[in-house]
Amino acid sequence: MSLRRHFGTFLVAAACTVASMSASAHAILVDSTPKPNGTLAAGHADMAFKYNSKIDQHRSRITLVKADNSETVLTIATNSSKPNELDTSADLAPGTYTIRWQALALDGHITRGDVPFTVVAKP
Amino acid sequence: MELLVDIFGYLSIILHGLTIVAQSMTLGGILFLVFLARPFAHMLEQGADLERRITRLTIYSAIGLVIAELAGVGLQVAVVMSTVDLGFFDVMQAPFAMAGTVKILCAILLIPCLSARIASRPLSAVLLLLLGAAELTAATFTTHAYARLSDNVLLLLVEGLHQFGAAIWVGAIPCFVLALGRLHDANGWRLVGARFSRMSMIGVTSIVISGAVMSLYYIGSMQGFYGTAYGVMVGAKIAMFLALLALGAGNLMVTERLRKNQDTSVIRLRRFAEVEIGIGFTIFFAAASLTSVPPAVDLTTDRVTLHEIAVRNAPAWPRLTSPDHDQLAISEMQSQLDKEAQQRGQVAAQANVPGSGILPPRNADDIAWSEYNHHWAGIFVLLIGFLALLNRAGVGWLKHWPLLFLLMAGFLLVRSDPEVWPMGSEGFWIAWRDVEVAQHRFFVALIILFGVFEWAVRTGHLRSPKAALVFPLLVSVGGAMLLTHSHQISNVKDQMLIELTHTPLALAGVAAGWARWLELRLPGRGGRIAGWVWPMCFMLVGVILLWYREA
Repeated sequence: MSLRRHFGTFLVAAACTVASMSASAHAILVDSTPKPNGTLAAGHADMAFKYNSKIDQHRSRITLVKADNSETVLTIATNSSKPNELDTSADLAPGTYTIRWQALALDGHITRGDVPFTVVAKP
Repeated sequence: MELLVDIFGYLSIILHGLTIVAQSMTLGGILFLVFLARPFAHMLEQGADLERRITRLTIYSAIGLVIAELAGVGLQVAVVMSTVDLGFFDVMQAPFAMAGTVKILCAILLIPCLSARIASRPLSAVLLLLLGAAELTAATFTTHAYARLSDNVLLLLVEGLHQFGAAIWVGAIPCFVLALGRLHDANGWRLVGARFSRMSMIGVTSIVISGAVMSLYYIGSMQGFYGTAYGVMVGAKIAMFLALLALGAGNLMVTERLRKNQDTSVIRLRRFAEVEIGIGFTIFFAAASLTSVPPAVDLTTDRVTLHEIAVRNAPAWPRLTSPDHDQLAISEMQSQLDKEAQQRGQVAAQANVPGSGILPPRNADDIAWSEYNHHWAGIFVLLIGFLALLNRAGVGWLKHWPLLFLLMAGFLLVRSDPEVWPMGSEGFWIAWRDVEVAQHRFFVALIILFGVFEWAVRTGHLRSPKAALVFPLLVSVGGAMLLTHSHQISNVKDQMLIELTHTPLALAGVAAGWARWLELRLPGRGGRIAGWVWPMCFMLVGVILLWYREA
């Protein structure tokens, strides 16, 4: 068999094996404030999302989704002493919200997820 | 772009798998050239020709690496740019993009360094090894090790050793197959076989040592091994690694026999090496998908216990009746939304938006629906394996058994994703954004392809020996697909229990494909044995599918 044919065979084998992939999460959320389905008091709230991997804070994103599905992109505070965290803050009125995060791990994998939570009026 | 993030994530893993294949073949080619082809060139009758061909294969591999890495990094950069609203140069400063750029540059520089003009210079081997080492170093910066919170240096070294081991062994096998095909004398086979065996042993040792250390740091415990997706995938890699070792041991025996008896045939050596390439590449894609799941040590909750595995796998009668489509969670949700919208006089919202990243709801009827699909698929596969076995035993008219694959593909296309056309409200094209739907469609396409090819081969419509290889190749691809087939289920434990069933299915599929390959390619007793093995692997797949449960 010629080299070209050999190479063709390898390429076909490689290309065909392609489909053996999954798209599960890589960087996972290990802790957060607010917790999933948790509550926060109304007003200015600091929020922190902690992962199992070092995260590229500058190239990640946190979006606040309100009950009416309107979205606000929140600013992420860059903090090199907390390489596995995405920290942010927002002024929140009582209601239901979702934090939609997208994290770029330092090894290049992008993952995303939702943290739904409720804001209650200050007692 | 937002709705395409999941499917891009899936594509990036595919490209990562291709990158590992190309990288291993490039590095394996360099090592084969520097430590085998060039030192032995003057001792082999066809030495110069062999060196030229190995060089060409390595150049092709380096070009493949450039293309795969460019596509992979390009895709990631495009996703980050559009979803985080950053400029091109900003994203290119991300560690993954910089590592990718170094890999691409190394692969580009390798091409002129492999040319005949530079190869004749005294330090060309050093130059090749240095570029290879630089590429490998950059590659380790895109592994789990770089993003770990501690022990980064140790883990980076270990990841580098793991990739080196894979390159020197699996990545160099294509060069070995090429060499065995080009050499025509026992002396040449003996020289090449003995040196490659030693190189393989270094590769195997590197893989075993690095694999053990990584298991310690990334899995950590027995429950991490059997109770998480990461651990189960490592288990599948180990099973395939053991198969490779068995094939390698078979090759070592031939090499030893060659040393004593010059008339020993090397055909088994060549055929086993071909299968090693296939299984080795499957391991590379399993490795690529491993980078997309969190290490087992990090998944401290939602692990599956042995008791849960036992309960899930307790014998139960197959489900042969299906619930109604209207009772499924999305159908119910959609009809509720339709009713509310009608009352308001508005257009109803869609119950499920493919690619939104929000996992669809599931109820007991969804589980029953899925089990019914798996059980009927099991009946199809069991029947196919049994008929193939009867055909092998001499019942000639059963040569039409591959047509059953078409029936099965039709069944899966209609039933696999009930929310999608033709049964559901989601359009055919829009549903490609859903990773699970895309994977199911790949399965259907594969089943149709290999069913048609095998039927055409068996009935004499296709007479080319190459056409006969399509079936084993695609069956093994199907097995590899199953290995990492993911379900979009929010319950991590349920997802894991399903994956536990899919892993033996996948391994049986890979074994079936490569056994059929051996039946076609290996003359004599070995091929005949393989001819009985693969239909039994099919029957095993059928039985496992009949056993499958989701609750």
